[in-house]
Amino acid sequence: MPDQEREKEKVAPVSIVSEPAAPKAPAAETEDSQVFFGEHLVGLDPSELHGNLIVIEGLDGSGRSTQIALLQEWLESEGFAVQTSGLRRSNLVGRDIDELLAKNAVTRLTLALMYATDFFDQLEHRIVPALRSGAVVLADRFIFTLIARSVVRGINRDYLTGLYAMAIRPHLTFWLNVRPETAFAREFKKAQAISYWEAGRDMSLSHDLYWSFVRYQTMIKREFEVMAKRNAFIELDGEASVSAVNKQLRQRIGEHLGIRATKYTPSSALAHLWR
Amino acid sequence: MTDYAQRSEGQLLSALMENQETTVRPPRPEASKTTLPQPGRPVPSRAYPGALIVVEGTDGSGKSTQLYLLKRWLEIGGYRLHFTEWNSSPLVKSATRRGKQKRLLTPPTFSLLHAADFADRCERQIMPLLQGDYLVLADRYIYTAFARDASRGCSQRWLRNLYRFAPVPDIVFYFRAPLDVAVHRILSGRPKLKYYEAGMDLGLSYERTESFKLFQARILEEYDKMVDSDNFVVLDGTLPVNKLQKQMRDIVASKIDLKRFAPRADVGE
Repeated sequence: MPDQEREKEKVAPVSIVSEPAAPKAPAAETEDSQVFFGEHLVGLDPSELHGNLIVIEGLDGSGRSTQIALLQEWLESEGFAVQTSGLRRSNLVGRDIDELLAKNAVTRLTLALMYATDFFDQLEHRIVPALRSGAVVLADRFIFTLIARSVVRGINRDYLTGLYAMAIRPHLTFWLNVRPETAFAREFKKAQAISYWEAGRDMSLSHDLYWSFVRYQTMIKREFEVMAKRNAFIELDGEASVSAVNKQLRQRIGEHLGIRATKYTPSSALAHLWR
Repeated sequence: MTDYAQRSEGQLLSALMENQETTVRPPRPEASKTTLPQPGRPVPSRAYPGALIVVEGTDGSGKSTQLYLLKRWLEIGGYRLHFTEWNSSPLVKSATRRGKQKRLLTPPTFSLLHAADFADRCERQIMPLLQGDYLVLADRYIYTAFARDASRGCSQRWLRNLYRFAPVPDIVFYFRAPLDVAVHRILSGRPKLKYYEAGMDLGLSYERTESFKLFQARILEEYDKMVDSDNFVVLDGTLPVNKLQKQMRDIVASKIDLKRFAPRADVGE
């Protein structure tokens, strides 16, 4: 497509990047841009939000869920109320997406919009109420994974940032960075198989499952690299041990929440995660 | 061909698909007659041989009856056509039903779920048929979402971006009926208004009929704003059915080269 044509399509792109408020913008708008990615979530008064939104991003097999389980226990032991969120967990469309994925009868744009519906349902019914009540929300993935997955499938980045413009900006975004090869080993160990979607098989990258997985996850990783700079990701080495990654997370979160001593040993219920 | 190049400034679905090669499309003979896309219009223009006719208007404006009659006229004439309705993709149906029953829907999720429904129909029916040289008739289109969701508080900027992948129709018929006429038609025809249909989620009134009226007034206002920006052909919904249908058929015949959609065997003769 000629550049000229592409330029014309970029109609009022909504930037995901934190932009300094225009000099003439009213005070309320300045506040909005700190709270939201691009525009105000309909019907939400940002001054009602007292909690903290902490996002953990990373590839499949980067250790997100393990870390979130540990962080939840630690925060609760410190006396913080914790709410979690993740992909496909909404009451509205969570199960529908599972079905669509199982049937593999869905096109990429429809799937992207179903994921957006799932995201906003959880944002409004789970995350916002928790933030109103002053809880800490631990989000297992956020808009970044959703945007990355669609971008690598060829959907315009501006379109996607516009789609998620009403999302609330996290207070902290951690990126557990792992090599796709490590991710493969971990995912395989978990399920003794690699799923269709984890390997990005809809993208026809390779008939070889391993290479399909590695190529797909490398593409996603590259998108994270692009977003990391713009969105102040805190990059952690996801290849390090669970306890080492957890320690770094606790330090940064502790700093943010004003928890001085961040010593923690998991309870017997979670001890198996502590390898 | 110059004319055509001008028209294909946007790339439909491929507007969102950066890496996609654009396919070679046959030029359309009636290109000069149809409305050219306006620069800066949010929805990209067509780049396919088919044609898209859309009806829009508030509930009770008479648009569905008129589109049905138009469809019958074209069917009887043997034209290649496909009819599509808003909110009808089986894929999203269960979610929409659940959301409405349990009143889970908020302005953004109401909007996104309808967009997913539309995307599914767009990707799997509307676009392939337009590319395959069909006449596509749509009962409600993205303008319904623009009017309804803007009435629910979603911003125009967000909505226009959301539906950026939709092909621009060749004709948008906007059936305009005064609010009281439209409201009367709906209220006399159905026993009870549904929650979202009445716009109860907006909290305009505790009373369903009253809420419906206020909601419809807002929608009407949003539609009116689009008449110029989106080249609506405004028709008077209070006219007798057959008169209105005559107007509609005349406009279709003048704006669209119907011969193109005649049975394929006839084309060569």
